[in-house]
Amino acid sequence: MTASTLPPPTLEMRAISKRFGSTQALDGVGLTLYPGEIHALLGENGAGKSTLIKIMTGVHQPDTGAILLDGSPVKIGSTIAAQGHGIAAIYQEPMMYPDLNVAENIFITHAGRGPIVRWRQMQREAEAILKQLDVQLDVRQPARGLTVATQQTVEIARALSLKVRVLIMDEPTAALSAHEVAQLFTLARRLRDQGVAILFISHRMEEVFLIADRVTIFRDGRLISSAPRADVTPESAIRAMAGRTVEQLFPRSKTVTDELLVSVRGLGKTGAFEGVSFELHKGEVLGFAGLVGARRTDVGLALFGIEPADSGELLIDGVAHRVRDPNQAMSLGIAYVSEDRRALGLSLPMSITANITLPTLRRYLSALGLIRGRAEAVDAEQFRKRLAIRASSVEVEVSKLSGGNQQKVMLSKWLNTRPRLLILDEPTRGIDVGAKAEVHQMIDDLAAQGLAIIMISSDLPEVLAMSDRVLVMREGRQMGIFSRGEATQERVLGAAMGQEALA
Amino acid sequence: MSWIKRSIRPEQLRELSLVALIIVALLIFGTQIENFLSARTFNRIASSVAIVGVVAVGQTLVVLTRNIDLSVGSIVGFSAYFVGMQLNGNPELPPLMAVLLACGVGALLGLVNGVLVAYGRVPSIITTLGTLAIFRMILVNYSDAKTVTTDMVPPWVPGLAQEALFSLGEFNLRPMVAVAIAVVLVFQLVLVYTQFGRRLYAIGSNPEAARFVGLPGRRIVLLAFVICGALAGLAGFMFLSRFGNITVVAGQGLELQSVAAVVVGGVNTFGGSGSVVGALLGAFLIDLLGQGLIRWLGISEFWRDAILGLLILLAVASDAVILNWLRRLWAPNELKTRTTSEAAPTPKESSHGV
Amino acid sequence: MASSLRRLISWEGLLLLILLVVVAFNAAFTPVYLGVNNQVNLFQLSIEKIIVALVMAFIIINGEIDLSVASVMGLAACVLAYLFNQGVAMPLAVLGALGAGALCGAFNGFWVAYVGVPSLAVTLAGLIGYRGAARILLEDTSISGFPEWFNTLGQQPWLGPLPFALVLFFVLYLVALVVLNFSGIGRLVYVVGNNREVARYSGVRVPRLKLGLFIASGLVAALAGVLLAARLGAVRGNTADGFELDIITMVLLGGVSIFGGTGNLFGVGLAILIILNLRNGMSLVNITGNTQTGVVGVLLILSVLLPNLVQDVRAVLQRRRAQRKEVTRA
Repeated sequence: MTASTLPPPTLEMRAISKRFGSTQALDGVGLTLYPGEIHALLGENGAGKSTLIKIMTGVHQPDTGAILLDGSPVKIGSTIAAQGHGIAAIYQEPMMYPDLNVAENIFITHAGRGPIVRWRQMQREAEAILKQLDVQLDVRQPARGLTVATQQTVEIARALSLKVRVLIMDEPTAALSAHEVAQLFTLARRLRDQGVAILFISHRMEEVFLIADRVTIFRDGRLISSAPRADVTPESAIRAMAGRTVEQLFPRSKTVTDELLVSVRGLGKTGAFEGVSFELHKGEVLGFAGLVGARRTDVGLALFGIEPADSGELLIDGVAHRVRDPNQAMSLGIAYVSEDRRALGLSLPMSITANITLPTLRRYLSALGLIRGRAEAVDAEQFRKRLAIRASSVEVEVSKLSGGNQQKVMLSKWLNTRPRLLILDEPTRGIDVGAKAEVHQMIDDLAAQGLAIIMISSDLPEVLAMSDRVLVMREGRQMGIFSRGEATQERVLGAAMGQEALA
Repeated sequence: MSWIKRSIRPEQLRELSLVALIIVALLIFGTQIENFLSARTFNRIASSVAIVGVVAVGQTLVVLTRNIDLSVGSIVGFSAYFVGMQLNGNPELPPLMAVLLACGVGALLGLVNGVLVAYGRVPSIITTLGTLAIFRMILVNYSDAKTVTTDMVPPWVPGLAQEALFSLGEFNLRPMVAVAIAVVLVFQLVLVYTQFGRRLYAIGSNPEAARFVGLPGRRIVLLAFVICGALAGLAGFMFLSRFGNITVVAGQGLELQSVAAVVVGGVNTFGGSGSVVGALLGAFLIDLLGQGLIRWLGISEFWRDAILGLLILLAVASDAVILNWLRRLWAPNELKTRTTSEAAPTPKESSHGV
Repeated sequence: MASSLRRLISWEGLLLLILLVVVAFNAAFTPVYLGVNNQVNLFQLSIEKIIVALVMAFIIINGEIDLSVASVMGLAACVLAYLFNQGVAMPLAVLGALGAGALCGAFNGFWVAYVGVPSLAVTLAGLIGYRGAARILLEDTSISGFPEWFNTLGQQPWLGPLPFALVLFFVLYLVALVVLNFSGIGRLVYVVGNNREVARYSGVRVPRLKLGLFIASGLVAALAGVLLAARLGAVRGNTADGFELDIITMVLLGGVSIFGGTGNLFGVGLAILIILNLRNGMSLVNITGNTQTGVVGVLLILSVLLPNLVQDVRAVLQRRRAQRKEVTRA
């Protein structure tokens, strides 16, 4: 299609901006979805894709900008409103009613079907829609027993039944086999040919280039490029996704020693990840890079014993260990700082002190089991100074702290366990630039003190700046390890997306 | 094996196994106990199951939405007493009016529950624990410690519990039992064939999704409690008919019996699945087991509650275990719902229903 | 803890106000109301309930609930009476009762902590089952004739004007206060109640904690059952029937959130005083037990409903404030 033969756009997002606290998630981005077109959206984690989808489906409202449906401005104030406009989305995790059967799952959300349920008619209609998609499925079976792929098909059928005009597919292929992916794409193409505008988000480059008609790239909340697929190559896409001018690489000190601390071989957990192998020396920072769904957190949880691995081996100081629970991990000197500080990392109504001493509470108990408050407070104060936690006192509730200070409290909590291997999961997510720099300095200091550090991060410049080596994961598999010199944005991103190493 | 999965609704499997259990129990008791399979046993069981069954139907609706109603016993008692008094004052009151009055009173009390749970966001366990006491208090004060006796109501009332609509030898089908069966059938149809019924299941099956697509969850939960109250009211009328003497403790314990019937009958305590037929079968099985075990093992009738508690625990525990097992089957690729897909709707909700 | 302190102060301030109103009202009706004898009597009548309320506070703060406490009380009393009736020496019978309670608690705790069944369902089954077990033991009979020293535990003055049971309550209250506010276990109870996953990720052994709490609940309930038997002098199959309403109300009215993670024993103490004085006052004007229970039911619902309504009002006000800001900006 050339520009002159393009049909009028179904959905147009113009100059959309959205800010969350101190983060500018979207900065004046635009996106145009044409009917009968599969439009792929590429971008790293944090590029703004999910925020845009949330705006399109009515979960969030844009701060500025306009949304035009068939050329007229609309306001998508709620998820129900989005549905009313014919905008539907399917995600990695389908939204099913497991106890209802397929036909019901398709039609349950319909408002105007009347008070009486006509099962046979509903069945026939369900079968008709599935026929449109050329899918064979028994509509009478409950949704619970279905595979993810089939459930997604049901979701598409549901969208179709609601006369969908814009279908958003957000990472739909992550849980599918190759065969199921092919089937999904056939469905998508069929929908496209019926005039639906499809927005397809995926990290799998080969899929994007297989199915997309148009490719748009976001980076750091901005629109970088948008072009017909023929004008884009995987290399140019990766370059656009990654191509920031890196201002200044963090000046890491030379902290790597030659004392081997950790050796991991073939670590795996069924259904999560497999074949992870690496060595880690004292004083070394190993960055874990990858995109959403790479399962890096699962590796961290396995090493810490929250979701233990079921294959492979872990050697610490040359001795093999099976880490079965967090207490054992802590006794081995392993600490894991969670990526979700509000839901998993901190007890929000409690004070800074109480949070810092939580994993090591036994250390602060007197003979009768009472807490030695002063000993606690002293240690908490030390951490407050050491990490420069900005709060009026260590008795302040952590829910009142800024993101950066909360992160520091979490860090203190785990440093207090005197770890030898520190696993940091997204340590600077959602915190301001100043705090970020402080955390980076802290990591450098810790490495200098001889800690071995694994840093899981989706912030590519951060990974490149802080790591002595970079381990790249993709969908639960290890793609490779780059040395500090070898690692470039393109190489790491390319590996994370499954491409061959680029020059 | 998969054709079974396809042509049978999930709750029907549970219903079938209950029927099987009932048959087994009947066989065992019938051969081990003299005169067990007699008309007297049948009539006795049928009469008590009729009342519990009607209450259990209402309880089913509430439990489907992940709530519970502990106040039904008090509603039954109040309705029985209230209608008894009204009939005493106006003996010419037509039967239909009496029944409607019972249901109306129950519905009003159920409305209180529903408003508090659905709109006040007070968890149903707390609400109904409180209204259990409050409604009983209203009954005591309204009755002024007087008792309703059989001679205070027109004779057609106890007749509903005693006369037979038709008989098969000595097996009577009493009007009360017929009413119970009718109620079960009607609500089975409602749950299977009406939008309201299906939405009950949807809300219990996946409340987050239901809210996300805009299903009117609060209104539906409110309706569930109102209907539950109305049915408890109807059961109160049946209670009046059967027992005649209504004291202030009338109906006590029915809430626990109805929950037991519902849970044993396969209504999942996590909501979303189960049926009223199952609840009725559960009530029947419980009563059958109770009667049979007492006669067979020679144990006192005081074992009934202990057995009831054990049955509930088994049913609920197996629900929990099976649910976990099913969840693992259903989503083999998921580990835990952490921050995987950020664009997906965020779950995180207490399991208190609504 | 600062803002939660502020919030609690306002809730406890309200409770204090209600308490003063109730006491003033009662004192106006009965001149001897504030006398020592009446106050002691006031506590005596519900001493067993308030002892259990202490441990129920722990359970609810931990994010669980135990509906079976009253049935365990009854079962323990029945075990005591049954053993005594069989000729077992009283002290041993008491131990037997306590053991039965601990067993019930362990049973509850096992299903909740290690199988993952919701505590609501398990303890509801326990409510029915343990009551049934009590009835199996005693059937329709009533057992009395306990030794003299036993019967005086609940009634005769032991320390000054205070009977043994009351002293025991104060001791337990202090212990509970210390444990909840100053011990490691107390802090873990809060953390797990507020967010179970955070505790798990920090290496807390959550199942063990929950099991321990339920065993404690069973044990304390059994103790209360024994004291109840001592005070009443006789035990029946339905002893302690329905006590769970008062117990749960005392805890929730005291500011402990049903969802877990917040609340303290100071508020629970005030709530206990309110309910005791309320019941006593109502008795003095000849309001029946059933009506009293109904009033307690109202308090129970209000203690959850009112904070919800306040939250809603606050949310509406916040939204209006935000809208006004937008208008002035535009």
